[in-house]
Amino acid sequence: MLTMLRVGIEWIAGERDDAPTWFFGVSGWFLRCCAWAAAIVLIYAFSGQSSKFIYIDF
Amino acid sequence: MIFNTFVYYLVFLLPAATIYRVVSERLRPWIIIGFGSGFFLYFAYSMAGWWGAACLAIFLWESIVSRLYRPNSRWCFWGLAQSVILLCIFKYWNFFTGLIFWHTPNPIRWGGQFLPLGISFFTFEFYHYAWDRQAGKTESGSLSEYLAFILFFPTMVAGPIKRYQDFLPKLRAKPTGWGRDWERGGTRILTGLVKKFAVADLMTAWTDHLNGRDILQAHRGTLLLWIFAYGIKIYADFSGYSDIAIGSARLFGIRVPENFDWPYGRRNIQRFWQCWHISLTRWLMDYIYIPMGGSRVVSWRIYLNLMVVMLVSGLWHGAGLNFVVWGLVHGVMLALHRFWRHWRGAASESPAAVWSSRILTFVLVNLAWAFFCMNLHDAMLFFRKLVIG
Repeated sequence: MLTMLRVGIEWIAGERDDAPTWFFGVSGWFLRCCAWAAAIVLIYAFSGQSSKFIYIDF
Repeated sequence: MIFNTFVYYLVFLLPAATIYRVVSERLRPWIIIGFGSGFFLYFAYSMAGWWGAACLAIFLWESIVSRLYRPNSRWCFWGLAQSVILLCIFKYWNFFTGLIFWHTPNPIRWGGQFLPLGISFFTFEFYHYAWDRQAGKTESGSLSEYLAFILFFPTMVAGPIKRYQDFLPKLRAKPTGWGRDWERGGTRILTGLVKKFAVADLMTAWTDHLNGRDILQAHRGTLLLWIFAYGIKIYADFSGYSDIAIGSARLFGIRVPENFDWPYGRRNIQRFWQCWHISLTRWLMDYIYIPMGGSRVVSWRIYLNLMVVMLVSGLWHGAGLNFVVWGLVHGVMLALHRFWRHWRGAASESPAAVWSSRILTFVLVNLAWAFFCMNLHDAMLFFRKLVIG
């Protein structure tokens, strides 16, 4: 169960190339568009507080 | 900033990745060199002025010297030495000389000290190339290929730390699957930005309290909340950064090493380090731990090797006594874990044992961040308040 969830999250996050088998019932494109839309909304909503990345010559 | 600026995407990443994909194989390294140099000049100048931008000369010098590296050549030792010297001068001069003149004002303090952009990372790639050339583990490649390796701007500033022998075949291969690479790479970049903006930066409201004045007035529970918030922040910040770097490289059709693999879900400190900042851990293993004998020496030497590696890791993370202590704390945890496994044998696989060890590892790693994010005095105060109240 945890492994299935992990694979799904990694695919949505762009870490894996192939969608997990349990996603096949849903349109891959639809899910990808939803993930992109959600990411863009979150970035836009929180972008005002941006700070320096910790690891850039800390 | 860099990865959260429009300039990075509109002036550097998208034009460079597009042109890289359409030009001939001969020109591809030069596209990376051109955009990489422009990237370094622009961001180094904006952060450290003309002297910062002038540090591009370090890359040019390194690329010239690298042409002299041969298996078993003395020039390789010179290459190793110059990487360490560069890092020591720019990053540790005031720290080490301050330790020497601890009882008096430092007469040789470098007042205008600055860090060349990405020096902690590019010196590690210089070191790796010199070492592997000396050992005959990698081919020389052409000047343009080596320059493309060290000036590949998605990974130049904060990794993941690449290996030349992995990078070279990808540079020489014709990029294919443009649509898939851009869709997956773009998704990865968005994921990184979400981690940075919506998670890491959101934690700042709590982590800003990790200082001596606020700690004195806080309750134990609040202290724990702040330090766990820092644990989440540093993970989201650096893994988000790595996502953007990996996604950016993917736009070129180049796969670079992964840096994180769910580190906070790991059962012990050894597994944590195998999954946290993976490219750094592998570098430390290959160029410090294994040359010192690794795990093929007597027990006390193995523990010593672990301590030395984590001491170097701590110092690499920052020029301060708190980073030294942070590294040593992790060294002690790794040594204790190794001793425990040697004494008690393989770990139990029962769900209770698995989850309790995961929670214990998570808590210990997060408490150790206190030495990472505060100076030594404030970190000690944090633990005193946490234990005594």
